[in-house]
Amino acid sequence: MKKALLLVLACMVLLVGCSSGGSNKETASGDGQKEITIWAWDPAFNIAALNIAKETYNKKHPDVKINIVEYAQGDIIQKMNTGLNSGTTKGLPNIVLIEDYRSKGFLQSYPESFYDLSNKIKPTDYADYKVGPTSMDGKQYGVPFDSGVTGLYVRKDIIEQAGFTIDDLKDIDWNRYIEIGKVVKEKTGKDMITFSPSDLGFVRVMIQSGHSWYMKEDGKTPDLADNSTLKEAFALYKEMLDSKIVKINADWSQFISFINNGDVVTVPSGNWLTPSVKAEVSQSGKWAVLPLPKLPNTPNATHASNLGGSSWYVMNVPGAELAEDFLAETFGSDVGMYEELLNKIGAIGTLKAAAESEAYKKTDEFFGGQQIVKDFSEWTAQIPNVNYGVSTYAIEDILVVEMNNYLNGKNLDQVMKDAQAQAETQIK
Amino acid sequence: MNAKKRGLSMTAKYNLTGWGFVLISVVMIGSFYFYPMIQALFLSFKTGTGTNLTYTGFSNYTRLFSDTTFRTALFNTFIYLIVQVPLMILLAMFISVLLNDSKLKFRGFFRTAIFLPAVTSLVAYSVVFKYLFGSDGLINAMLLKLSIISAPVEWITDPFWAKITIIIAITWRWTGYNMIFYLSALQNIDGSIYEAARIDGASAFKQFTQITVPLLKPVILFTSVTSTIGTLQIFDEIVNITKGGPGNSTMSISNYIYNLSFKYTADFGYAATVSYVIVILIVLLSFLQFKVAGDKK
Repeated sequence: MKKALLLVLACMVLLVGCSSGGSNKETASGDGQKEITIWAWDPAFNIAALNIAKETYNKKHPDVKINIVEYAQGDIIQKMNTGLNSGTTKGLPNIVLIEDYRSKGFLQSYPESFYDLSNKIKPTDYADYKVGPTSMDGKQYGVPFDSGVTGLYVRKDIIEQAGFTIDDLKDIDWNRYIEIGKVVKEKTGKDMITFSPSDLGFVRVMIQSGHSWYMKEDGKTPDLADNSTLKEAFALYKEMLDSKIVKINADWSQFISFINNGDVVTVPSGNWLTPSVKAEVSQSGKWAVLPLPKLPNTPNATHASNLGGSSWYVMNVPGAELAEDFLAETFGSDVGMYEELLNKIGAIGTLKAAAESEAYKKTDEFFGGQQIVKDFSEWTAQIPNVNYGVSTYAIEDILVVEMNNYLNGKNLDQVMKDAQAQAETQIK
Repeated sequence: MNAKKRGLSMTAKYNLTGWGFVLISVVMIGSFYFYPMIQALFLSFKTGTGTNLTYTGFSNYTRLFSDTTFRTALFNTFIYLIVQVPLMILLAMFISVLLNDSKLKFRGFFRTAIFLPAVTSLVAYSVVFKYLFGSDGLINAMLLKLSIISAPVEWITDPFWAKITIIIAITWRWTGYNMIFYLSALQNIDGSIYEAARIDGASAFKQFTQITVPLLKPVILFTSVTSTIGTLQIFDEIVNITKGGPGNSTMSISNYIYNLSFKYTADFGYAATVSYVIVILIVLLSFLQFKVAGDKK
């Protein structure tokens, strides 16, 4: 009897001990005012940028300890969601990197959990299109970071083999692009473009260049059934496939290998693709970057769009002021640091002031001496500002399926009507 | 009498000690299994994103019926179940009977070789399969070289073949695991039964259907129930090989739950509802299997 009771008691003590012990430790580290923790993904890009920022900040504030933690993006999303839902802020970082397509979802789902940075971060200092995703209800929550500005990467030598010059591809629309693609395919046997059937990134690029998105301005109402820009993008997507100028890729590594092996002639993509293109050293001098072709039938369509990109957010936990200060002094204002970011890791920021710096004007021999960074930052300023809303990926998954139906012959209006109906049940 | 006066009787003492031991696991299971399950049930009656959850009654459950993605995920999961589980069970049984032959040389080697896939990491083997079945992968190269096909099969990017790829992958991974159960069960069947059957002139096939299968019945039931549960929860392979695509033609229910919680703007209420569908399905299917194959007890 005694033994049994003792055992039960021991277990209870052990259990209680476990739980309380855990939480004690967490609070201790959270109270350390001179310490901030940052979560981000991609060691070659975001983490490298953070290390530069940390160095810069520590020169002025050597007493602040900055912990940079690298997780995969999927893990960060998972940890943020579970952490914020559990109702305890322990174990969450002070600063977190969030992809622009997802930021509204987080800001709206967890309204009290992000720190208002309006006092120190001026939205007008950044490229216009970055303000949409990083602010809500007139308050600035994010510090805009990298630009996902798109361009058309072109293999000059193959285009010339097909009898065109690089200028033939400059400032054209997608119809002309397809025509050129057909000729290129006929003369060289190479495909004009590559995309993956399960990733509509290309469609997103096209619709943003036409001031449109999957959602209406309010960021909540799906805008599919009556969205002429989206329909135009779908039609172009299909036409490219029908014209047999597309090489289908299954995943990222195949995508990159097609580019590096010279299997595709042009790649419309975000500027972050540059390091991957340059990885194939033997193709130096054979590439050029042109403005994105524009949508032929959308009246106010531009040659500028965006793919990906992310921004920094401060969590509303102890240490928020310090975290805010860190961001304001580094990514928020330090032009010198942006120069360093560009020189060391090739990151193009969205701080307007940085675009004026010398580093942004340098030429790149890989692209035949083109000032690609200058071009990219000019296009960044022209990217239409759209409201990404809360459910980009949920709608995209619906559209991927409907795109398949469309490619198999379903009527486009019906496709969009069905997608709209599904999106409306999905998003509440 | 004395003992009784001083305190508890022997039986009561034993009982208490017994319960004392049991209590630990009861408390543990209660707090880590049943408490979350009940919480999830409550959660499934709430709607909203992130922490903005409100009770909305059965709205999540009615939403299930108009959700085409859910229907596709359910359909896909059942395809995996209906095609893959019987295939794997039969294959496991077949291989184990072959390996049980005492005259077979290198039995240990074959047994290990077939069981080995079961110890590989789910993610690792999925990634290997993805590359093997890529459009320029080893499988296509082999089939092309042997002139079995004239153009590469789109194992990953075609809706039909992608399902086949997933089924091949899980069959490869789990057949050996199930085979071990059959092998151990076969070793418990007395050889003299077969001897008697042979004397009576029963063919090898007759022996298999009339002796082996009936005697393996409990194991067949066990493996089919566990495989059914496993297949209903399939997740890792799909995420790593096809990511649910192309479109959502390979998406399973577990993938959909993950997407609802983490890929899209977090909707934990609806995700909990969908997970309860899996719970209900598993209960129903297991019940059915017990009814069909189990003993009348």
